[in-house]
Amino acid sequence: MRLTPEELRARKRRNVWIAAALVAFIVLVFATTVLRLQQNQAAERALLEAATTAGPQ
Amino acid sequence: MTQDVHDRPAISTAQPEDFFQLLKPRVMSVVVFTAATGLVMAPGSMNPLVAAIAILCIAVGAGAAGSLNMALEGETDALMRRTRGRPVAAGRVRKNDAMAYGVILSLFSVMLLGMNANWFAAGLLALTIVYYAGFYTLLLKRRTPQNIVIGGAAGAFPPVIGWAAATGEAPWQAWLLFLIIFLWTPPHSWALALYSAGDYAKAGIPMMPVARGARSTRLQILIYSLVFVASAVAPALVGMGGMIYAVVSVGGGLAFLGLAWRLYRSRAGDESDKADTVGREAALYEVKVQAKPARDLFAFSILYLVALFSAFLVEAIAGLGV
Repeated sequence: MRLTPEELRARKRRNVWIAAALVAFIVLVFATTVLRLQQNQAAERALLEAATTAGPQ
Repeated sequence: MTQDVHDRPAISTAQPEDFFQLLKPRVMSVVVFTAATGLVMAPGSMNPLVAAIAILCIAVGAGAAGSLNMALEGETDALMRRTRGRPVAAGRVRKNDAMAYGVILSLFSVMLLGMNANWFAAGLLALTIVYYAGFYTLLLKRRTPQNIVIGGAAGAFPPVIGWAAATGEAPWQAWLLFLIIFLWTPPHSWALALYSAGDYAKAGIPMMPVARGARSTRLQILIYSLVFVASAVAPALVGMGGMIYAVVSVGGGLAFLGLAWRLYRSRAGDESDKADTVGREAALYEVKVQAKPARDLFAFSILYLVALFSAFLVEAIAGLGV
């Protein structure tokens, strides 16, 4: 099967955009992971501080 | 739309712009706006990056539903002037490609929203996609003149999803936002249908003017307008909207009712628009004198909805609302 220049150009443009979308998705998942970790760590710290303030029972 | 198999390119020649059009960018911009309003109005604070990713997920999810809709409706879209330039209808994107694109984006957007915000919001987004692409497009649209009434719920979900993304729950305030968009949809869509009934008839879609006639449609628009404006003013009465919202909702509501009354008294939609269905694309946007009240209500309905949600947004940012 021989592709025409128009078909090749269209395929290349689509591939570039698919690559860009995949990179964007990876960045978003990474950012989400980091933000989730931060939130969880902050919640854990707050819990520890509350326990420390309350003192030994 | 149909091409001889020998004329068809060996592989797709679709451009990235075509795939962007599959997402229905204009609808997506309204979704971003209403979802952001729900998210900002919700009590508590949210990390701006988490909020931005949540809005992006909701927008992409809505776009995915649009792509599935275009994949399923390609042949019908090709029969109507308003939709025949769409990528699948015009033959630039293959049906299966649009379908796969919609499914993949749906899965990615729901999954990311679940990880980023919470799974309740992600579940609502998934429900919206299934409701629009499955329930509305496949089941309702061709079966009942109430298609747009029931299907309108799909467009009303974004502020609820935005609220749920911020708080993990959907209280009555979020559902009041839902109700406003839900009740706004029939007068908005039927006003458009009044001056493009010929297109819908040709495509076999039982929109209200096609199924029940223009006179009945004008009456139903008036009734829905009364209920819609009441729901739009309600947030000001229950303390959900402040002074800005009260002024916008009451002032705009009176204008909306005035236009609905003018439309009811007009003869918009009475004359068949068969002449328009043949030939020029631009004919759709050339409004006949008789149909002008329908066109005016359609245009004002968009302005009014944007004004209502802008008022909510401004008051929420300024700390005057909820």
